[in-house]
Amino acid sequence: MIFELQVVFGLIALAGALSAALLKDPYAKLIALGILVSGALPFIVDRGYLDVAIVASLIAPISTIFVLMAVRRAET
Amino acid sequence: MNTAFILGFVILALGVLSVAFVRPKTYVARLINLEIPAWGLLLIMLAYDEALALMTFVAVTAISTFVIVRLMEWRDASC
Repeated sequence: MIFELQVVFGLIALAGALSAALLKDPYAKLIALGILVSGALPFIVDRGYLDVAIVASLIAPISTIFVLMAVRRAET
Repeated sequence: MNTAFILGFVILALGVLSVAFVRPKTYVARLINLEIPAWGLLLIMLAYDEALALMTFVAVTAISTFVIVRLMEWRDASC
């Protein structure tokens, strides 16, 4: 991959991880987790593992939905 | 040593620290923080060429998240 693109996607992933670790609201944490996934997926695509990229990008929102169920139940 | 390897180590360390010292001390926040080191470990495993291991790891992480969510609802202690 181009070096500048690696830096940009690495910074996106780091920003997602930092904000998911530091934010307190559970919904904000879930959104930051989405940013982390979007920063990590181009590295998987860059290695040529398109099947792994398909599986990861299908499963990550599903687990977000499961956690969202628990967050909604914990809020009420 | 490529970029994904180093980035994976940084995210793994950050995620482990955030799971250990979670700030709102709730099960939900800890479960959400638990997904950060999983992605870091995925980036580390990407440096070694094992596509089947990567796919299995992603699937098992999602299944374990589902099981832990069901367990939290069953215990009725999700606060």
